[in-house]
Amino acid sequence: MKKDKIIIALAGNANVGKSVIFNHLTGLHQHIGNWPGKTVEKAEGTLHFKGYMIDIIDLPGIYSLSTFSIEELISREYIAVENPDLVINVVDASVLERNLFFTLQLMELETPIVVALNQMDMAKKKGITIDHKKLEKILGVPVVPTVATNRTGIYDLIQTSVDAIEKGDRKPAKIRYGEEVETRIQKLSKMVSKLQLPYPARWVAIKLLEEDEQIKGRIRQPDPKILSAAKKLTKEIEKIHGHSCSTVITSERYEIAGCISREVQQIVPPTKPPTRERLHALTTHKILGYPIMATAILSVFFTIFSFGDYTSQLLSMLFKYFYSVYESLFGTEILATLIWGGIIEGLIAGITIALPYLIPFYLALYFLEDSGYLSRIAFLMDNLMHKIGLHGKAFIPVMLGYGCNVPACLGCRIMETERERLLATFVVTLVPCAATSVILLGLVGAYIGFQWALLLYIIDLLIIFVLGRIAFNILPGEPTGLIMEMHDYRTPHLKTIVKQTWFRLKEFIKMAFPLIILGSFIIKLVDVLGLLEPIANILSPVTVVWLGLPTITGITLIFGVLRKELTLLMLSTLFGTANFANVPGFGPREMIVFTLVAMLYIPCISTIAALVKEQGWKRALFITFFEIAFAIVVGGIAYRLLMLTGM
Amino acid sequence: MEKKLSELEPGEKAVIISIKPSPNYRHRHRHRWGFQKRLEDMGLTPGTRITVVRSAPFHGPIEIYVRGSRLAIGRGMAERILVRVEK
Ligand SMILES: Nc1nc2c(ncn2[C@@H]2O[C@H](COP(=O)(O)OP(=O)(O)OP(=O)(O)O)[C@@H](O)[C@H]2O)c(=O)[nH]1
Ligand SMILES: [Mg+2]
Repeated sequence: MKKDKIIIALAGNANVGKSVIFNHLTGLHQHIGNWPGKTVEKAEGTLHFKGYMIDIIDLPGIYSLSTFSIEELISREYIAVENPDLVINVVDASVLERNLFFTLQLMELETPIVVALNQMDMAKKKGITIDHKKLEKILGVPVVPTVATNRTGIYDLIQTSVDAIEKGDRKPAKIRYGEEVETRIQKLSKMVSKLQLPYPARWVAIKLLEEDEQIKGRIRQPDPKILSAAKKLTKEIEKIHGHSCSTVITSERYEIAGCISREVQQIVPPTKPPTRERLHALTTHKILGYPIMATAILSVFFTIFSFGDYTSQLLSMLFKYFYSVYESLFGTEILATLIWGGIIEGLIAGITIALPYLIPFYLALYFLEDSGYLSRIAFLMDNLMHKIGLHGKAFIPVMLGYGCNVPACLGCRIMETERERLLATFVVTLVPCAATSVILLGLVGAYIGFQWALLLYIIDLLIIFVLGRIAFNILPGEPTGLIMEMHDYRTPHLKTIVKQTWFRLKEFIKMAFPLIILGSFIIKLVDVLGLLEPIANILSPVTVVWLGLPTITGITLIFGVLRKELTLLMLSTLFGTANFANVPGFGPREMIVFTLVAMLYIPCISTIAALVKEQGWKRALFITFFEIAFAIVVGGIAYRLLMLTGM
Repeated sequence: MEKKLSELEPGEKAVIISIKPSPNYRHRHRHRWGFQKRLEDMGLTPGTRITVVRSAPFHGPIEIYVRGSRLAIGRGMAERILVRVEK
């Protein structure tokens, strides 16, 4: 059979390298990092290979094909019902047994599979050698060793996959359970095979014995008799083994995975504990772990600040010189000022204020992500997160939130229950994103001092904690416990980090710069028309009377809804300078209040969109309006407190 | 000797006997089996050998080594896992 359009899905455990392979195959930019649960939605891309147009699907990482989490359900329905031509099962060779447990389930689904035995380099480092030919024989499916990060074996992988599809119908080997279970599976699958279902009969029989609610629901309609038969058989197995039937089946499946992995691999552990193990012990140490975490985070922020501050000053000097040249060329006529003030100044503000902070910020964040440190932080923070009704994993989206709130909102899907997702999402929208950090570091840090910026970060953390605690009281319920695989530390892959940073920046430049230019232009135009004051005056009861800020800040806060850094950039357009040191009426006190409000007052429009997508209109609007009101209250209080201290 | 997983010291090895369902499962029926299933899917089935690597302070989670990989298990969860200590 020859058709020119085929579909190949990538499936496997979390954090095995599916997205790295996907990116290689499709040239797209799926999020990559060293912690489980990055891909939360299936992604699609195309590859042209030997006359085929191949649709590649990247699925969320899962541990099992049960229906415990939404991701598992998505992946299972996709594989079973949408029926891709082939599934590439990406396997982490350095944790073979756990990964084979999932492979076995894919085999039970009777989809054509090719196994990508990935992370061969990590396996080697851990002293594991795998006989992949033997594995191929045992599983009855092609196995291709790969090292996705440096493309080793990727060509082979796709070639083998296409070959397998061309050859057609090669069913994987059948897995035999223990005698007591096996006979009952066969009995039940005979009954099931009479029904018309999108799933293979044997698989349905196994799922019925595992008491899978979703499959039970599908059977109830056509034939309730099968359900009662399944129930009886389940009881029999339970009686024999003394454990629930699903436990027995899971147990036996793991047993098989264990046997296979022992058969094909040889382990000679390195004699001296490798650096990554020592690093792991140190960073999760019960006493040292915490100061190390604080130091790491502090030094990251300090480096970003120093680099940003220095570069920012350098760039503004450069542009000042550029302006004197411009002035001597075009004079100070109205059109020339409009172009300078409206367009070029906006651009300069974007380049001198935003980029110097954003670039090191993303580099640092992706470095942390790719090293594997995030899951260690989650481990250390588990206890504290329980106080706000969440568990340690929720700290991962919080950390991502420092980069951008949008992926952080989506990342909240790694939380297991609906309630936890809502709580985590709420908390995440209060985290100051990179754009907010631009304001924090570029205004407070640069003109008052780094320690003040730091203080604001800490106050924000306290606010997050207190509000999280209150939200937890409103949405009570026992927090579920943490279950998380902690993957080995890896030397961060420099190319991946730079690539992801570059991609983010490109997005920023594409999205933000037109907005910055347009925004500055509108403001200049309104200014020239003499409308600036009247508009700003409408907001003055809040901005001037309650917050003690200059009137025109009202306008920049409106722009901040689009993107947070616009508040600061538009301010520089309005003041006509990117140097805030000697703007009258905008001293340290105003800077702090302004930053506090900008930091808390609203999730930007993209975050609101993400909130709507994840939590629905009502909750998104509630969170948005709550945060606006809250920011104004906090800002006003801060203003009065600062007055009292005489700042 | 039977113990809860949460009572083990770092370095101790044990075999899993069973996982108790959550005490207040009545309110969260859906998760009663859900979390047991998740633990089992992660490889914590009865008869599995595990090693406790460390536990975080202040009642924090426990790190165990199981089936060639590292898992972090919350304290509450670990209290529901019954094990037999191996010498
Ligand atoms: N050393 C090494 N690292 C790899 C290899 N393949 C992937 N990685 C790293 O493994 C980590 C996870 O890769 P991803 O592609 O994001 O994993 P995923 O399977 O998509 O993960 P989820 O989306 O979270 O399920 C990243 O840090 C990669 O750089 C490999 O062959 N060798
Ligand atoms: Mg992925």
